[in-house]
Amino acid sequence: MTAVLEATGLHKRFGKLVAVEEVSLRLAQGEVLAFLGPNGAGKTTTIKMLAGLLWPDRGQVQLMGKDPHRDPWALRHLGAVLEGNRNVYWRMTAQENLVYFGVARGLRFGEASRRAQNILEQLGLAEKSRTEVRHLSRGMQQKLSLGVALMHHPELLLLDEPTLGLDVESALRVEEMVRELAREGKAILLTTHQLEVAQRLADRVVILERGRIVLEGRTAEVLNRFAGEHYVVELETPPSPAQLAALRPLGLQGEGTAYVYQGDAEGLWQVLEGLKPLPLKKVARAEADLLEVFLKVVGRA
Amino acid sequence: MLDLFWAEFKRSWLNLRRYPSEFVGGVITLSLFFLLLFLGAKFLAGPNANFGERTEAILVGFLLWILTLFAYGTLSFGLSEEAQTGTLEQVFLTPYGPIPLMLVRNLAGLGTQLLLLGTIALVLMFLTGTRLSFPPLVLLPIATVLLGSYGLGFAMASLALLFKRVQQLVNISQFLLIFLLQYPLEGSGWLAKLGYFVPLVPGAHLTRQMMAKEAALDWNLLGLALLNGLAYLALGIVVFSRAVQAAKRRGLLFGY
Repeated sequence: MTAVLEATGLHKRFGKLVAVEEVSLRLAQGEVLAFLGPNGAGKTTTIKMLAGLLWPDRGQVQLMGKDPHRDPWALRHLGAVLEGNRNVYWRMTAQENLVYFGVARGLRFGEASRRAQNILEQLGLAEKSRTEVRHLSRGMQQKLSLGVALMHHPELLLLDEPTLGLDVESALRVEEMVRELAREGKAILLTTHQLEVAQRLADRVVILERGRIVLEGRTAEVLNRFAGEHYVVELETPPSPAQLAALRPLGLQGEGTAYVYQGDAEGLWQVLEGLKPLPLKKVARAEADLLEVFLKVVGRA
Repeated sequence: MLDLFWAEFKRSWLNLRRYPSEFVGGVITLSLFFLLLFLGAKFLAGPNANFGERTEAILVGFLLWILTLFAYGTLSFGLSEEAQTGTLEQVFLTPYGPIPLMLVRNLAGLGTQLLLLGTIALVLMFLTGTRLSFPPLVLLPIATVLLGSYGLGFAMASLALLFKRVQQLVNISQFLLIFLLQYPLEGSGWLAKLGYFVPLVPGAHLTRQMMAKEAALDWNLLGLALLNGLAYLALGIVVFSRAVQAAKRRGLLFGY
């Protein structure tokens, strides 16, 4: 697949603090990458370098083969919703913001006006098109920021906490939009502290810790890798104390009728042998979620 | 680029239309400021003092000062405000680059600024009984003053970009502009000669001559004023470009 974004060996230091170290990212068309990490891990610094807003000390960024630090027209390929920013002018209406930023990103005025109308309908903001942004709800403002980022048909979207502070309905709507945009072929780099959102949306996951990438992989594979060591065992009736005492050394944890076995498949058979002849209700491989993966990886790092 | 100009023009016009109280407040404050200066000077000079054609010169100087203030302060005020409200980074994501965008912004904002200036001029002419001549050719020296002011504005915007809170410095330096606009170019001493190289001075001198003394346009001096304005604009842009580079290197585009 064609690389929409290719960043290699990014390095940034502020005084004595190394904010980002040897970070390389690649993003293809239609791919959603969850870029995760605790506060201060270097996510925002990396995003700013990708967007040409911060110069890396070392390393290179290519947007559709162009370097945004040397060629500003590379920014035609990029749309961004930046965290902690308003992203839009509060004294202007939703429609005026879309047209203004569309033109500022290189669209002709007429084209920007037409596109603004489409985007407002797409975002469900058509009724609010003539409302000043300061009178819009936080959710609507966030949707508008996404609209601004989409105005000029960019191939790459950088979304820094796009669902932060939104109510459930608005957050789900933004999630659905991200899915739709990926289906349309946009490459999306998403940072969020809402790991369940990342898990639902991302094809790939990168976890950053103290400026370095500590985990990278396809979401499903990462989850499998971390789930492989756990099995859930549920019984219809609790085992006897003698049975339990024999099974504890094998790695069985839990009480009553619900247990977790930590170990490989061979060990699981030994556990099941030890539980004979109790009736089993459920034996299943435990599913890890991204939160668990994140805590393990970040904790280990 | 024409589309960008139109978008910027609409943006400044919308601000004016949507918040007319700011426009009216600007007219009242600046008119009062002039009247206080004018009446204060008259009071200090005593009841027999007659300013004569000096009143016209003072008014022209004042109006020119307001215009240069707009050109000088708009960029740094805008950058500080955008850094504070959080739109600065979106602005810097433009593929046109920050300098062409800021130049277009300056030009597009001129329309609303001239409207404000024209209103203040009419109010003050009415209140002071002054008549100013406005030959169309006077726009040329005014344009050279504007070029220099934009140059100084870019230099000040560089400080705003790097240090964010520079409003106090902008406020204080505004009074330096009065000195530049009233710098005497008459005479043959070294001070007059130096004036040709000081920002805004040749253009301001020409404007004063044409509007207050109804003098004809001195084309040679206009050439020098144009060179002066262009040189300071170029200098300001170079400084601003360096400041953008430094801000991008040190991560100063975000936060306030």
